[in-house]
Amino acid sequence: MAGSVDLHKVSKFANMAIPSLAVLFFVGGVYVSFYFHFLTVAFILLTVVNLFYLHIQRKHTILRNFGILGQARYFIESIGPEMRQYLFANDTEERPFNRIERSEIYRKAKGVDSASSFGSQLDFDNSEIKIRHSMYPVNMDQITPFSLTFGEERGLKKAFTITKPYMISAMSYGALGENAVRALTRGAKLAGIPMNTGEGGTPKYHMEEGGDLIFQMGTAKFGVRNDDGSLNDQLLLDLIANDSIKMIEIKLSQGAKPGKGGLLPKEKITKEISELRSVPMGVDVVSPAHHIECTDGESTIKFIKRVQDLTQIPCGIKLCVGKTTEFREIIREMKAQDIFPDYIAIDGAEGGTGAAPKAFMDGYGMPLMAAIYSANKILTDEGVRNRTKILASGKLINSNKQFIALALGADAVCSARGFMLALGCIQSMLCGNNTCPAGITTHDPELQRGLDVEEKSTRIANYVNGLEHDFYEMLAASGIREAKDINIDHLYIPSDTALSDQIQFIVKETSEY
Amino acid sequence: MTKSTHLLSWFLQLCIVALLAPAAYFKLTDHPESIELFTDLDMEPTGRYVIGFLEAIACLLLLIPQAIIHGALLSLCVMMGAIIAHFTKLGFSEMFSFAPILLVILAAVIIFLRRSQIKSIARMLD
Ligand SMILES: Cc1cc2nc3c(=O)[nH]c(=O)nc-3n(C[C@H](O)[C@H](O)[C@H](O)COP(=O)(O)O)c2cc1C
Repeated sequence: MAGSVDLHKVSKFANMAIPSLAVLFFVGGVYVSFYFHFLTVAFILLTVVNLFYLHIQRKHTILRNFGILGQARYFIESIGPEMRQYLFANDTEERPFNRIERSEIYRKAKGVDSASSFGSQLDFDNSEIKIRHSMYPVNMDQITPFSLTFGEERGLKKAFTITKPYMISAMSYGALGENAVRALTRGAKLAGIPMNTGEGGTPKYHMEEGGDLIFQMGTAKFGVRNDDGSLNDQLLLDLIANDSIKMIEIKLSQGAKPGKGGLLPKEKITKEISELRSVPMGVDVVSPAHHIECTDGESTIKFIKRVQDLTQIPCGIKLCVGKTTEFREIIREMKAQDIFPDYIAIDGAEGGTGAAPKAFMDGYGMPLMAAIYSANKILTDEGVRNRTKILASGKLINSNKQFIALALGADAVCSARGFMLALGCIQSMLCGNNTCPAGITTHDPELQRGLDVEEKSTRIANYVNGLEHDFYEMLAASGIREAKDINIDHLYIPSDTALSDQIQFIVKETSEY
Repeated sequence: MTKSTHLLSWFLQLCIVALLAPAAYFKLTDHPESIELFTDLDMEPTGRYVIGFLEAIACLLLLIPQAIIHGALLSLCVMMGAIIAHFTKLGFSEMFSFAPILLVILAAVIIFLRRSQIKSIARMLD
């Protein structure tokens, strides 16, 4: 699919050709035969509709970018269910997100009712985790509103409280284009949730939009680094002087490519990127696989302490769980030094990214649900579950998955791609190519043009509101009065799941340790 | 649609039918003036019958509740053709030469009022 036809070029050609043909037929009508004017009229209409799509309507990125050719997509989509049913794949087959999951988000983002009829299309055999309701649901007004405060354990003056259990997970300016960053940040602000800046260095556009930001420090520490990749204290202090930045996230690893660094090729280092990321122009810059300060448990915890002491705002870490024994060791190290990150964000192996080697994307890391369960269990076993918070990310894009993550021990959930879909992502899988047709992961101004920041930011807010609505309804149905009371007993976990395996495994491992 | 836009739309539909129906009738019944017109356009007689037929269909559709929007689109197209004819060949010698312009405007207003009924657009508006 990728690159075979450049839809952008084709559509540009079509957008030129349609009015040209109208003129041509007109000339034919005048000089050859009046019958040509049947075509003239048709093409004048097409031209008008096309201009409307390209320049007047703002709701549909694809139509704004590609015009009437983009309409073909809506048409094909409208006959899609039939085509798939009879010819190709069904609604639950596409990956990473199938049509049912995607259209659920599109509906939430547009703020339309998402009731469905006749029955579920999902499986009820032995492969899907389901949620248990209570015989005695509670009323909405009996539920305590959600609230979670980061840094309360350390008694921080600048502790940070969220009132909805959602955050926008790390996506850098670089992976995202300017318009996408602005729409997400503005939407997050509208919805009252924080947004993670990703490891793109100084979050210039995020800060221009305002709202609550979590600054992510990647392994290359873009924006706050010395030339050797170590932390530059002064740059970090300068950065957090900006009020928008509420928390710091030290990224140890991410689910899409755990244990893997990266390379920022010199061709990609424009003047702007070099300034935002504090890297020189004209040379490749390496993102190491780990922070150079962190070579083992002890040094990692020391580094967390250094950042915490320096910034005096909540500092969390993000990681993808590999070996649970290693995870247990680092928790013990935290206990030994009595230093805890203000949150631990667990990223599942199913996580997405702009670009990662296939082997890592497909093969590395522990799947999310098993990882949250393990992290929560280990923290609880070690008696320190109350010293930190657990965040979770990895395909947590709809209410059910999010509820399951919370039940397994997460305190709040993060998503990157859920919010991309709400922005109008159509899963073209071109994030690394700079040719995103939805104008999200591209810097091409012509493609970004279709993404109307104001229009799409309300979609982000709608999406969050839809999720929150579901969340409280689900709490009520499960008879839960406060979000922190959600636990694994509210789940039905079939024995065929990865989670079920991990539960067995951890029990065994705990008895050995 | 609110009640008042609904009424307005029907009023405009009837206006179009009132102007278009006689035009269709004259074309299909070989009225000498129609024949003259289409001779000028070099479309005698096929073009006259085709256009007359399309005009008649448009009138009909404009009166069928489920098809109004299509009737409006069809009249818009036919009248755009008429405008082109007057501009390029026939000129604006008589009062009724301006009728197509009026009709295009009326049809456009109807389409605007009923835009949510265009299926493909309606899908995108939700
Ligand atoms: C386009 C894109 C860019 C991303 N950039 C970063 C990044 O800069 N730092 C990071 O830690 N994770 C990054 N991620 C990973 C996400 O933050 C998240 O952990 C992962 O996608 C799982 O969440 P999801 O399944 O809801 O998308 C990125 C993901 C995507 C799709």
